[in-house]
Amino acid sequence: MAHESGLNLQEEGRRLLALLYGALNALRLYPVENETVQHAISDLHGLVERIVEAEGGAEVRVVGDFFFLNETRLRLDLSNFSTFGSFARALHDHGIGAVEILPGIERSEWAPFISMLLRGPGGDQPFETFRDRFATTPVEHIELRPLSEVEEPKDDAESLTAAKRTYAQSVKVAKDALGDMRLGKAVNVRKVKRAVQGIVDQVLSNESSMVTMTTLRDFDEYTFTHSVNVCIFSVIIGQRIGLDRLQLYELGLGALFHDVGKQRIDVDIINKPTGLTEEEWRELMEHPTEGLLILFQMQGFADVPYRQMLMAYEHHMKTDLSGYPESRRPREPTIFSRIVSVADAFDAGTSVRSYQYEPWPPDAVLQEMRDNPKRGFDTLLVKVLITATGVYPVGTLVILDTHELAVVSQVNPDLELLHRPKVRVISDPVGLPLSEPVTLDLSDDDPVTGAPVRQIIKTTDPQKYGIRVSDYLLA
Amino acid sequence: MNEFERSSGDSMEGGDILWDDALPVDEVRQLFVTLAKAFRAYQLYDDNNPVRRRFLEGLRTEFQQLWTELDRIVVTVDEDHFYLDGREVYRSESRADSLAFLFFKDGVREITFLSGVEGDELERFLGVLQRARKLVPEGDDLLTVLWEADLRFFEYQYVDLMAEGVALPEPGAGNSTAELQAVLEAEDETDEADEAESGEAGDEPPPPQTVKQDDFNPTLYALDPREMEKLRAEVKKELARDTRSDVLSALFDRLEERHDRSRQIEILQILSTLLPNFLSRGAIVPATRVLEELRTLERQDGVLDERGHAQVGAMLDAVSARDTLDELIKALYDGTIRATPTQLAGFLTYLRGAALPALLHASETVEHKELRSVLRAAVQGIARKNRAAVLTLLEEEDPVVAAGTARLVGDMQITEAAPALAGLLAHPTAEVRLAAVEAAISLKASTVAGALEHTLDDPDRDVRVAAARALGTLKYRPAARVLADIVGGKGIRSADIGEKVAVFEAYGAVAGEDGVRRLDGLLNGKSLFGKREPTEVRAAAALGLGRMSTPAAKEALRKALDDDDPVVRSNANRAFRREE
Repeated sequence: MAHESGLNLQEEGRRLLALLYGALNALRLYPVENETVQHAISDLHGLVERIVEAEGGAEVRVVGDFFFLNETRLRLDLSNFSTFGSFARALHDHGIGAVEILPGIERSEWAPFISMLLRGPGGDQPFETFRDRFATTPVEHIELRPLSEVEEPKDDAESLTAAKRTYAQSVKVAKDALGDMRLGKAVNVRKVKRAVQGIVDQVLSNESSMVTMTTLRDFDEYTFTHSVNVCIFSVIIGQRIGLDRLQLYELGLGALFHDVGKQRIDVDIINKPTGLTEEEWRELMEHPTEGLLILFQMQGFADVPYRQMLMAYEHHMKTDLSGYPESRRPREPTIFSRIVSVADAFDAGTSVRSYQYEPWPPDAVLQEMRDNPKRGFDTLLVKVLITATGVYPVGTLVILDTHELAVVSQVNPDLELLHRPKVRVISDPVGLPLSEPVTLDLSDDDPVTGAPVRQIIKTTDPQKYGIRVSDYLLA
Repeated sequence: MNEFERSSGDSMEGGDILWDDALPVDEVRQLFVTLAKAFRAYQLYDDNNPVRRRFLEGLRTEFQQLWTELDRIVVTVDEDHFYLDGREVYRSESRADSLAFLFFKDGVREITFLSGVEGDELERFLGVLQRARKLVPEGDDLLTVLWEADLRFFEYQYVDLMAEGVALPEPGAGNSTAELQAVLEAEDETDEADEAESGEAGDEPPPPQTVKQDDFNPTLYALDPREMEKLRAEVKKELARDTRSDVLSALFDRLEERHDRSRQIEILQILSTLLPNFLSRGAIVPATRVLEELRTLERQDGVLDERGHAQVGAMLDAVSARDTLDELIKALYDGTIRATPTQLAGFLTYLRGAALPALLHASETVEHKELRSVLRAAVQGIARKNRAAVLTLLEEEDPVVAAGTARLVGDMQITEAAPALAGLLAHPTAEVRLAAVEAAISLKASTVAGALEHTLDDPDRDVRVAAARALGTLKYRPAARVLADIVGGKGIRSADIGEKVAVFEAYGAVAGEDGVRRLDGLLNGKSLFGKREPTEVRAAAALGLGRMSTPAAKEALRKALDDDDPVVRSNANRAFRREE
């Protein structure tokens, strides 16, 4: 969508990063007077001038995996992930969180700035070292901010409210749609589409708040929250592998309907609190096929929703086809189906549900999905999910080395520190609840010893003990 | 996009608003008049229509003029109006054509045009409005369509009707001391038990909940560039994938399962819907796949019950029905279906005998050479498996089909069709009679030859010529008398040279020695007044003699080798060489 200035900041921002990366590479290989370098700088400067003129300035921020140009989050996809990653590392090595370009920037200011980025980071305090060296250059229109000062631009409370609204509406839509289906009534696909569009928008702009919503275990019946959670996780994985907005929408629709076939399975089996008999399992295992068939009946799609049908049909198939339904003809589950399969397993594995043993802690589920080939997940996609959820996904109940209980509240966006998330400490070491949960960043190190201030020593299952993690995350 | 605050959305009257006099209200008002006209033109005319182009250009120009004063145009929306800063800039008299109502009814309360909308996006914007006008209540609404369109220079705010009555999730009070302590105590106990267990078991790994340093190794969860590249390739492959084929495989996998007969019927019903759906979209390859799989199923015992078999049979029959094939041909002709000859031939392979009339008709009438050739090959393929069906087609009322069938009978040497061919010689349509004659030649069917005699006085010249040639080719001697009458009659003298040659050659072929005197007389004789026959008659007689292969005929020709008439001389020479 175009910005107020009329510029398409999404496109221009992605170009800007590509040009910055290009200039960085050119200067890495050639001396500054080289024609390639000069071209690269000219292109970069030309674009920056346009952005600065239209926007009154340009700030490039790196927040976790994402770049922002002013208030626009730049979409990462497979065509630019390498560029984004390299440039993010270059900034990160120097502890730079944001680069602000002011009106009046001169072409001659670029070479010193980029050359400095190419130098090795300075010691324990890379940002300070960079800033001090930078101050000695003639650059006047580029200002820097450290990583520690850079936050996502949107207000947390506002983000959370938007996510809550989207989540609640989506669960209601899923409930209505699946309920209508069980009763043999026509499904309002328009509402479903709107819900998925909302989820896609929220994931693209407000991913961490949407992940928080998936920890709401008792918001409604499992069937409905699970459908929405699988949709959210699928869209998260999808956007990380570079699907565009419409492709995410298609993925989200299929993910929301992935278990639609269960609406044709005996409700007593679906809701059976204990283990299922062999016969009941056999019936339950028909739900992917039933899902495929139900989607043929659903009116309201512009075209026959083939991809969504495959997501419903293939999500239990496993990558080696050893799952169900059995394939008699050659088949390779679609990547959309494999995404849904990963999202489904993660949410199901961490949930209390019918015919389910004790749920596993989220980190254990991820580890099992990643490491046990018999589970039949696409391990690359599991990795993608882990980069989004962290080693300890949001909602994981952890015990710290201080014996405090805490709930993981935010993933550490630094890939190297995925195991050191932000947590909400909810009890003291003897189990007394804190009057006001305290948020801690587990990536903080003791300035004296250099050791982590606190560490996770153990994870446990909140549902097993009746701990409602969402109470601490939604507050 | 933002969700519009309900409170502001419902109070857009001008009362308390301070008007900004600098706003170009009149120009914006004019813009909406032009927008409404352009939209109407968009609905009425095709893409390249000059009227539509003119209106669009007009709209573009007005936007461009406004961008010299504004960088965006924000208007609020009610049922029948647009307001710019509280002042009405659009009013509709009728809801049916109202742009304002089109937005309002789906909840849109404010729209913004940004500079740039007049570019490539303008037609996409009008396309969205057009699509929105045609939406059915159970389908999409303007909001879903706008979202999908992902317009860059058009923004909107709306009241979310879906949000009504939805309770937002709110945090609870948290857990009690007892509950939290229970966790720590239980986990302590687990740790102790684990320690004891690991002491006993020696090298047993710790339970999954316990944190291991290995889990933090980023190589275990971070994607390296090679893995990202692999995913990228997979996404690319996925987006190019024909998912219909995967869905079909799923349907046929499950259709082969015998344990659920009612599901089999449901799948067959789905397939019967999919097949025309594929064809209507020009997807002949998946359509062929359906037919191929159905035919295989039909031939397998026990997979389907009686009802299933009947349904499969009905589907295969339906595809071969005339109406279906007429549609198919139409689609091939107008480009709805763009299939390679191989793909089309593959599809046609699965048609049954019932398809022959329509295919024959098409193969005789389509102008597209390649298509005609594919259709003919398909016709022959089906006919080979359905010889009996071909025979019945000789009785088709449609003359094109009857004629095509006659030719097919000849090409395929369906000798049992000879009696029916004889019947066709009396068909009211000349083209059919002609085809029957040609088929008789191909079949070399003497049973038809008797009937051919009567065709020599057919009202159609081509039929007469073909009949004469047929009799000559078949050397049907009983026809000699009839041909002698024609050769000696007055009628042949007014025929064209082609017909004369055909008749004289036929006569020469069947009359033998008896006819030499007659033809010699025509070639070399003179009347009482010394006048010779006309050149064309003499030349045709020479060619007739050339068919006789007798010394007398050769002698007669020799006399004409130095004839004064160059045409006669030339044809006599030709015939003589043949004799030699």
